Amino acid sequence: MFNPKKILVPVNGGPQDATVVALASQLAKRSKGQVYAIYVIEVRRTLPLDADLPSERQEADVVLDGVEHAAEEWDQEVETEILQARDVGTAIVEEAVEANVDLILLGISYRRKFGEFDLGRTVPYVLKNAPCEVWVCREQIGDRSGR
Amino acid sequence: MYVIVAGGGKVGFYLAKELVEHGHEVLVVESDARRAAEIEAQLGSIVMCGPADEARVLRDAGAERADLVCAVTGDDEDNLVICQVAKARFHASRVIARINNPKNAEIFHKLGIDDTVSATDVVLSVIEQELPRQHLIPLLRLRHTDVEVVEAIVEEGSTIAGRRLRDVALPKPCTIAVILRDDAVIFPEPDTPILIGDALIAFTTSENEGPLRKALLGE
Repeated sequence: MFNPKKILVPVNGGPQDATVVALASQLAKRSKGQVYAIYVIEVRRTLPLDADLPSERQEADVVLDGVEHAAEEWDQEVETEILQARDVGTAIVEEAVEANVDLILLGISYRRKFGEFDLGRTVPYVLKNAPCEVWVCREQIGDRSGR
Repeated sequence: MYVIVAGGGKVGFYLAKELVEHGHEVLVVESDARRAAEIEAQLGSIVMCGPADEARVLRDAGAERADLVCAVTGDDEDNLVICQVAKARFHASRVIARINNPKNAEIFHKLGIDDTVSATDVVLSVIEQELPRQHLIPLLRLRHTDVEVVEAIVEEGSTIAGRRLRDVALPKPCTIAVILRDDAVIFPEPDTPILIGDALIAFTTSENEGPLRKALLGE
């Protein structure tokens, strides 16, 4: 059975955050592992990478507070970090390599573009480039109103 | 240093690669989506897909905070527009344009793009250095000036061989800055003799190139 010791959970304030944090917490509890949640702020090229972005960081803090609360429900500690990067996918993969994680847990919403299901850029990039296992949790179709 | 490389061809790719390896922040702007993806696969997320000669693309690329914009597409007109937009609209600190046709250099200079690189000129200058030794060999032109650095080899039978530098009637303005003799580098005094086999490195204006050739080589 797969018992990941280090689990990376990238969050973005999306509907699947709570689900992936809960899943990561349960897996970590079973394997006595660690959960590491990151929120990546994508910095546009007009600004330097280390630009001060107070509103974005405030938003990230709120999301990561939610992550901590969600993990507490499973009595699991979670380490959180805010990253600034040019590209979310690259930041996730680089962080996974640096932290030497065993698993990346990605939560995605059910999104359509031009009438077709669309994964966006980040998920395919992580699936293609991450050296560790990657699990993707997609929300249920029709989970949210207006979809 | 933040460098925008406009054009993801071979020149742009290797330029970006070198700059990244030297620790600079680099963004390659490439209009062809497939080529942009290729570069991204090799160099990482340092590519923006779009036409760099459009102001909105340069704005999104962060031209306003760029320390350097290098326009290295294969098209001189595009390179000119990219540099002009970067300089005039976004006040980029410095712009460098690749020129494919050396005849366009003057147009670039007239339009305020002073830093240009022409591969054709570089190859031409190498070829000229390999031409028969009795010619005056142009080594380089000083930036923003009419001053050239040239080399002349003193051959057997030369009228200046054996004479002192003070006795050679050089056109004005013109100066012999260095003499290369075997493996030695000599900064000449008026009394320094000129010997057969010496390589004379001189500074001259384009206008005086002919009279200098005549004075040194008797041509």
